Amino acid sequence: MDYKEFYNTFPSGFFSSLPNGTIIEANKNFLELTNYSREEVIGKKKFTDFLSLGGKIYFENVFAPALKLSGAIEEVNFNFTKKGGTKFPVLVNSVEIKDISGTHLYTHSVVFNIAQRKQYEQELLKSKKYANEISNRLTAVNKELRSRTKLISKQKLQLEEFNQHLENKNRQLSSFAHIASHNLRAPVSNLLVLKDFYKENTDLKDKAMLFSKVEIVIDRLNETLNELIESLKIQGNKNIMYNAVTFDTVFAKTLAILDIQILDSKAVVTSNFCEAPTIEYPKLYMESILLNLLSNSIRYRAPDRIAQIHFRTEIINNEIILIATDNGLGIDLKKYGHKLFGLNNTFHRHPDSKGVGLFMTKTQIEAVGGSVTVESEVDKGTTFKIILKKHK
Amino acid sequence: MLEKLIKKNNVTIYGTSSKVMFFVHGYGCDQNMWRFITPHFKDSYKIVLIDLVGSGKSDENAYNYDKYNSLKGHADDIINICDALNLQDVCIVAHSVSAMIATLAAVKRPVLFKKIIMIGPSPRYINDADYFGGFSQKDIDELLETLDSNYLGWSSAMAPVIMGNLDRPELAAELEASFCQNNPEIATHFAKVTFLGDNRNDLKKLSTDTLIIQSKTDAIASIEVGQFVNNNISNSKLVVLETIGHCPHLSAPNKTIEAIKNYLM
Repeated sequence: MDYKEFYNTFPSGFFSSLPNGTIIEANKNFLELTNYSREEVIGKKKFTDFLSLGGKIYFENVFAPALKLSGAIEEVNFNFTKKGGTKFPVLVNSVEIKDISGTHLYTHSVVFNIAQRKQYEQELLKSKKYANEISNRLTAVNKELRSRTKLISKQKLQLEEFNQHLENKNRQLSSFAHIASHNLRAPVSNLLVLKDFYKENTDLKDKAMLFSKVEIVIDRLNETLNELIESLKIQGNKNIMYNAVTFDTVFAKTLAILDIQILDSKAVVTSNFCEAPTIEYPKLYMESILLNLLSNSIRYRAPDRIAQIHFRTEIINNEIILIATDNGLGIDLKKYGHKLFGLNNTFHRHPDSKGVGLFMTKTQIEAVGGSVTVESEVDKGTTFKIILKKHK
Repeated sequence: MLEKLIKKNNVTIYGTSSKVMFFVHGYGCDQNMWRFITPHFKDSYKIVLIDLVGSGKSDENAYNYDKYNSLKGHADDIINICDALNLQDVCIVAHSVSAMIATLAAVKRPVLFKKIIMIGPSPRYINDADYFGGFSQKDIDELLETLDSNYLGWSSAMAPVIMGNLDRPELAAELEASFCQNNPEIATHFAKVTFLGDNRNDLKKLSTDTLIIQSKTDAIASIEVGQFVNNNISNSKLVVLETIGHCPHLSAPNKTIEAIKNYLM
């Protein structure tokens, strides 16, 4: 084969350059591509003379070091400038030719005109940029959607909370209606009967006796009304103040208030709040809850044995539970369980029974989002378990 | 901390000498470009090589666009590495844009550096009034286009070279590695920071002993630019090598080594 002919008819541009860049040989295709004559190129032009300044920066900073380090480089895209200034895109492969000692003799480069391919590439690039843009926009929309979803879930949570609050209110209202219909009606009808008796009776002594009864009923009625007003205050209180409450401290205060009752009853009162010594809770409610539970246990102690009353805290499922146990009279839950926390419900023919405390206690516990359950056996004792705060 | 820094800048250290030579590559390359030079100094110097964050095998995720929006971000990295490795009296060898990074580091912490050796420095590439940097904004736009269109080329064509074969560089071609395989987005950003920056005023603040190695023919940093750098540093010396191109340490390593040795002697 005639290699010179082969070189000159080869269907892409060839040129060879010295280490200083000067072109010492170029084939016909290269000269045709660049529109220069042989005389204008050989020994006169360098590789970089066909590049724009921007291309030269790339050549010096990226192309030349890479070629130097590895001896060959492939598929680098440059814009070559033709004689006359027109530019056309090319792909360049270069290889360094060295002698046996490793000295760099010259560089062979092959140049492919990629004008048509470049157009296609540019269309692809354009599509890619467009796709990127859409992707970015989608990401933004997605982000917006996510933030809205978050807002909606937050609102949903608020609604659920509000609903819970409404349900509580409803329950309290119906309880209140029940109280109004039963606990107020009983003394009022009592009063009506007493009034009729009083009118019909002519005996002064009897009249005085009837009036004293009216007084007692009025006092009870007044007491009941006051308690109702008090419980309404708790229910209506939206901004409950939370405090750091130490059980030992509040319990000591409760013991001091009930000092005389404890002495009189000879009850043995113990406590252990080690497991959960403190809680964030409305302090006034806590005082009232402990006072009601302890006074109940003292009041309904069994007369035939020494009263043993124990208060403690536990943590179950992340919730702080207050547990109050006594060995007192107990309550028949089958009979009275459903009425236990109603107002003025009493289950013992006991002189001090007023049936107020538990209603208040339950109202306070629920106002803070807690709940109360009771276990009891007649003549064995009673245990109140209070989940002070539902964990969220 | 040290481990993180080493990963961040792909720090390579070898040699046990107490004297330190710290090499920083220029735009478009990584620490591999020093492999013809370092073997000649490894016996008398501890050699420290880094990849600037965003280049070579540095931690790409550490490329904070705000921090590296100025060469100061890279200068701070160099100071941090010197501190973490407890390096003192460092002789820093910096190519191209890194000559300005080294300048900023030495202006900020002069005590760390004993000498600066700049190869092909330029404080500003864009022409400005009577200053001739060699380029216009249009040229830089063309560069960015070339970067863009060679993104594919970068990921496959740049030949593999890695460190660790300093004694037998001919093996390097057989090894799989990345040379100049920089993330295109970062490469574009770094190109803008490099070629649109202006550090002419920082040269005057430099007090460190400086050698400027200038290629006689350099399309990126012309001999006039090299003279400008020399005239604006109080304590510098300019050596012009009879070489062509922006990377004499690659195209004429022996001449470059000789110039460095003469200066350090």
